[in-house]
Amino acid sequence: MNCAEYKELLVAYIEGLLDETEKRSVAQHLRDCAVCRAELKETSNLCSRLVNNGKNLAQTNLEDVVLERIIREQNVRLKTASKIGASLKIRRIIMKSRITRFAAAAAIIVATVFGLHLFNPFRATLTFADVIEPILKARTVVLDFVVGSEETGPVMHDIVVGSRIRRTISNMDTIMVIDLDKGKMLTLDPPSKGAAYVDIQGPLREGTRNLIEFVRNAVIRVKDRPDIPVQELGQREIDGRKAIGFLVRGHNEQITIWADSRKATPIRIEMLLGQTLYIIKNIKFDVPVDETLVSMEPPAGYTLSDKQFDMTQFTEQDFITVLRLWAEHLLGGSFPQSLTVGDLMSLTPQMGEKIGQLNISDEEKTQLGMAMGRGFVFFQQLDPTGVTWHYAGSGVKLGEADKAIFWYQPKGSQTYRVIYGDLSVKDVAPGDLPK
Amino acid sequence: MPETDQYYVERCLDGHPDDFRYLVRSYQSVLLAHLAGKLGNKDKAEEAAQESFVRAYFGLDRVKKPESFFSWLLGIADRVAKEHHRREQLRRQREAIRSFSEEAPSPELSQDYALESAIGDLPEAYRQVILLRYYGGHSCNQIAAKLDMPLGTVTKTLSRAYAMLRESLQQHERSEVYEV
Repeated sequence: MNCAEYKELLVAYIEGLLDETEKRSVAQHLRDCAVCRAELKETSNLCSRLVNNGKNLAQTNLEDVVLERIIREQNVRLKTASKIGASLKIRRIIMKSRITRFAAAAAIIVATVFGLHLFNPFRATLTFADVIEPILKARTVVLDFVVGSEETGPVMHDIVVGSRIRRTISNMDTIMVIDLDKGKMLTLDPPSKGAAYVDIQGPLREGTRNLIEFVRNAVIRVKDRPDIPVQELGQREIDGRKAIGFLVRGHNEQITIWADSRKATPIRIEMLLGQTLYIIKNIKFDVPVDETLVSMEPPAGYTLSDKQFDMTQFTEQDFITVLRLWAEHLLGGSFPQSLTVGDLMSLTPQMGEKIGQLNISDEEKTQLGMAMGRGFVFFQQLDPTGVTWHYAGSGVKLGEADKAIFWYQPKGSQTYRVIYGDLSVKDVAPGDLPK
Repeated sequence: MPETDQYYVERCLDGHPDDFRYLVRSYQSVLLAHLAGKLGNKDKAEEAAQESFVRAYFGLDRVKKPESFFSWLLGIADRVAKEHHRREQLRRQREAIRSFSEEAPSPELSQDYALESAIGDLPEAYRQVILLRYYGGHSCNQIAAKLDMPLGTVTKTLSRAYAMLRESLQQHERSEVYEV
């Protein structure tokens, strides 16, 4: 063997990976060859340096601090969620798109009740069937729904009758009547006596399943998951009623359910799903409801808009419209420094105002406004933890075709969609993403 | 020996977030070394490592191949480091404008910044092996199993990586001499 070949073996020699014959042969060569000896010394020195550095870094223990941060992060995300901006239309849309995750968690809500039957000492008085029966049979449900913090978050009040929902929100004038069967929403604006129909077939309708419906679905699904652990929280008074509490922790969600200990009906449900806290409270089943409240006809005195509002699909092109409007009309041709839901929310009113000032027809303004709304929903529907998308538009100017400003991985896709400064889009393999 | 990454990823997804602790334990040193080289400051590396773990936790349900958790985690860390860089640049720009100071005070470097920085400059394949060997506490055999490559390839990769590291460290020393 020559020096080059011995050099190849040095690492294995240092690591003790050679067999006896090889080892002896290398050792012999090292005795004879000063160059290789020097090489060994250099390499060994580097290895010691690496070992020392490794040991030094190993003294840092991040376990506790990371786990603490995960908990804190959830709280921070809650606060952010409670600051969701003031725009009526956008908030309405966001809530509904978030509700898709709510539906996923419903399985766990009912699992709590299911667990009640299986494991806890109250089963002599409360059974799964007892709790579920009123939900399954209820024709009407009235409830309050809070997104974010109970102190500052707006309260959504739902009156559910069959597949219709009348929805009002505490800090807005608008009334929505949703017909889930037809995928249609009637929006009423009392100050202007205006009314409009919005087509919500597709993701928005799927996300807006009424409570009774998805609890029913969940009952069926949850039968396969009797293994979900339930923590008992004991008794507490909720809204003047004695309640029994249960807590279920999932990977990205945490659900607390309080059920009336006498009537066995859920009265308050708190859900932490991903970034957002949802509280359903003041739940009442089978209360008498004036059915004209959920009529899909505009009330007397209202003028129905003849415009077509379409909220059925949320495309990349809508999102690109948002990016363009933002750069072109609010930032003098540059893309923003960061891109978050909060940024979008706070800019919505300004952006709406700018659209209003554009020298285009009312019809075009409406279409642009709707595209903006859909673009926001598109962004909202991307991974909320930001792992599968990335914004890199800081410092980039509109028209710079060689600079990527945003990329994301569509669900189920092997490649990424990369949007450039000129708003062109390309499919790019993960390994070829911009550094 | 403990369970595989895949096991812990699945445990977390099955609703045992405390088990994320084991993944942090396995990769904290690796991530610190990786990030210290990129950020040049131990505190910042720690901060970025924490952030990377937190992001990884919230994104766990999107890991396509749980057995490749490590590569996926490095990808997140790279993005976090990039964002830190950008923020740092912005901060310096603002400070420079505000105070007209000639130069920002140099941040406290980590103990062996030259080495970490040299590791950071290695091509991906070489960096992974060095990180796993010296910061992840893996033997050559374990690395071979983890990265699904023959043992001979691991030692060859290490050998090339050493050569590159030595070259880069020598350059660094030369440049320091000139600076003085």
